[in-house]
Amino acid sequence: MEKASLRFEKKDCMGCHACEIACKQEHALGVGPRLVWVKEQSPDYIPVYCHHCARPPCGEACPVDAISRNDQGIVLIDAGLCIGCGECVQACPFGAMQFEDQREIAVKCDLCIHRLAENKQPACMSVCPTGCIHLDGKKSIAAVFENKIYQEI
Amino acid sequence: MEEVKKVKTVCRSCHGGCGVIAHVKDGKVIKVEGDPESPISHGTMCSKGLSITQLAYHPDRVLYPMKKNGEGWERISWDEALDTVAGKFKEVKEQFGPEAIMIGQGTGRDFESHFSRFGNLLGTPNMITAGHMCYLSRIGAALITCGRHPAIDYANNPKCIVMWGCNPLWTNPDEYKGVSFWRAYQKGARLIVIDPRKGFLSKKADLWLQVRPGTDAALAMGFHNVIIEEGLYDEEFVWQYIHGWDTFVDRVRKDYPLERVEEITWVKQDLIRRAARLYATTKPAGIHWGVPTEQTINCTDFTRAAVGLMAATGNLDAPGGNVFHQPPGTRSISEFSSHKSLSNEQRLKQLGGEQYKLAARMTIVTPKCAWDAILTGKPYPVKAGYLVGTNPVITRANANEVYEALKKLSFLAVSDFFMTPTAELADIFLPAGTWLEQNHVSENWKFHGYVLARQKVLEIGECWQDHKIFMELGKRMGQQWWDTVEDALDWLLEPTGLTWEEFKEKGYLHGEQKFYKYREKGFSTPTKKVELYSTILERWGRDPLPKYTEIPESPVSRPDLTEKYPYILNSGLRTPTFFHSANRQIPWLREIRPDPIVEIHPATAEKHGIREGVWVWLESPRGRVKERARLNEGIDPRVIVAEHGWWYPEMKGPDHGWDISNINMLTDNSHESMDPVMGATNLRVLLCNISRCEEQEEE
Repeated sequence: MEKASLRFEKKDCMGCHACEIACKQEHALGVGPRLVWVKEQSPDYIPVYCHHCARPPCGEACPVDAISRNDQGIVLIDAGLCIGCGECVQACPFGAMQFEDQREIAVKCDLCIHRLAENKQPACMSVCPTGCIHLDGKKSIAAVFENKIYQEI
Repeated sequence: MEEVKKVKTVCRSCHGGCGVIAHVKDGKVIKVEGDPESPISHGTMCSKGLSITQLAYHPDRVLYPMKKNGEGWERISWDEALDTVAGKFKEVKEQFGPEAIMIGQGTGRDFESHFSRFGNLLGTPNMITAGHMCYLSRIGAALITCGRHPAIDYANNPKCIVMWGCNPLWTNPDEYKGVSFWRAYQKGARLIVIDPRKGFLSKKADLWLQVRPGTDAALAMGFHNVIIEEGLYDEEFVWQYIHGWDTFVDRVRKDYPLERVEEITWVKQDLIRRAARLYATTKPAGIHWGVPTEQTINCTDFTRAAVGLMAATGNLDAPGGNVFHQPPGTRSISEFSSHKSLSNEQRLKQLGGEQYKLAARMTIVTPKCAWDAILTGKPYPVKAGYLVGTNPVITRANANEVYEALKKLSFLAVSDFFMTPTAELADIFLPAGTWLEQNHVSENWKFHGYVLARQKVLEIGECWQDHKIFMELGKRMGQQWWDTVEDALDWLLEPTGLTWEEFKEKGYLHGEQKFYKYREKGFSTPTKKVELYSTILERWGRDPLPKYTEIPESPVSRPDLTEKYPYILNSGLRTPTFFHSANRQIPWLREIRPDPIVEIHPATAEKHGIREGVWVWLESPRGRVKERARLNEGIDPRVIVAEHGWWYPEMKGPDHGWDISNINMLTDNSHESMDPVMGATNLRVLLCNISRCEEQEEE
């Protein structure tokens, strides 16, 4: 199965944080979990995001198998199964797994799977002014959704 | 449950212009997205615009007109609110004359036309805006030099871009948005960045000139020196179209040899030479300049020198250079504002008009003159005010004086979304509508040739768009307005042959693009040429040629202060999440930037025992404030760079922590520190010291 994931070109990330807000809006998240976030180390910006790993450590750490990888290679968490133990948050080497205090569950990037199905770019990618966010694993996603989401802005 | 309805509109979380598709369900905006068809933003949106739902539905938002009684704020009706304001204004007008009422707005809020019309019909020349040091000052300087504001022409692919004190990717760029710059850059344009601080763009640049803050005008004269010395100017253009070229050349040669420019600006001669060559020899080349060049004593001179660079290199009104975009054919803001209604007698009473002649010509009052009049009663008393979408206690120089002045007014009305530290000083609060709650022909005041349809998506509480507040208040003052907001827009659009309803469907209009218009008509100046030697400044008894004036509070001009205040404070560092004093209460944005940031060089930090993330005191001759330290190797160890616009909405009113981290507690607004013709206040460059706060909050 081919890997589907976001890829940020760090050199073109200019630290505007628009991706973060677009993501929060799309996933109706409040303060706390940041499924994508940009660390600032003046004058550099370091995007932190889910890599949708082929063998996701978050999934391996989950004691109740709430995290799985779907046919397009998107690593998803089942909110109904999550027991909020936080093991996955500890396990993620990228710091991308997040915890939502309100619902006491782990939350993660789902690559805006509902948007992909509508032939739309993930929310973060759609707003980036420098176009530094890309979808890797183009072929598999494109084959599934026959979309045009890779057009550069 | 309703289906989701999608409404096209236009953002205004900064100066606006980005196309938006608002998703509405059950009478509520549930989401906003960028509009891919927008000619300005091409589908992108920034963090501020994307957070509009958190602003519009914020629990602290004031949704009803309020009046202050002995115990605090009390809800009242619109009728009572407007009658109260109109009644007070009539009293003041009768007793002291209309000039005793000042009206004020903040940064460009897209209601300039209504703001000025209200003031003009009221008969007060005292309309306070940010124009003395932001954008309008650029336009004023360009007006007397070449007749119109020459905006960079990204649409026609400049091959070289000079980004001068500006980061359009982060903050409001006035004309085109960051994405237009980025597209031109991605097509291979060479990039020269002039910035005291290393940021994203300086890292991308072919050449980065780390200028001493406030010395941009000297650097521009250095560019001229290279261009003249090496004969890189457009021979035909300079002799045919520049007034005073030879006198200007004398000034440049005599006063701005590169060794002197290096001494003033801290930029190495070789780098100045390479940058000037790159700009002058790459065609077309455009200059994109920002407010740091305007917010000092050199405001007018910098823009004049920059226009001189465009002219000398033949890039003026050339495609891909700096061009005079043609307006889109609507009635102009000036016509809507009815400037002719203000009698000459009243116009002559404009505060500071005698001293700041270019400001007077642009109908701009520098706020210092208003504070003086309120506090001293001279040259005449100012008794009442109406402030709209502005928070001067935070954003104007010398915050203590601003606070005292506003407190002293006998009557103040404020229109805003929230109870800001400024609004808390008012007697009447009028609840304004956000850009989701407005019908407007937006951008009519800018110089990029577009107008765009901002259409009302919904109404919230009893909030009114400011345009409507001006209209209804104006009518109560006996002024002539239209019945509805939309009727006024119909009139504004009339010359285009469109009604508001038709324009709304169309989305936007763009003026016809024509270049080299001067070849037929010359430039709109008294000599019909680019006036590097300004006949207007000469008539006003000012230096007719551009120059650099040393910053009044710098290590050069005030060596006596440097023992106590050894650093240059470069105030006004922008953030991508906030627009001046706005947005500190928006949860998504505050999470990204919870604290005010001051950047210092690691060597400076070490000297003062400052670690990354600790709270530090910044102290100037006028006061001290605290911000959180961040280390940046990309600034000069002699310079400290601090954010502006901070107050703490979460802190108890009426103060809301207005004086804790407000950088304008430190800035100076003395007349000696301002641009002599525009009255631009120095919000950018002063002397300071830094020390670690004794007590540290959680780090």
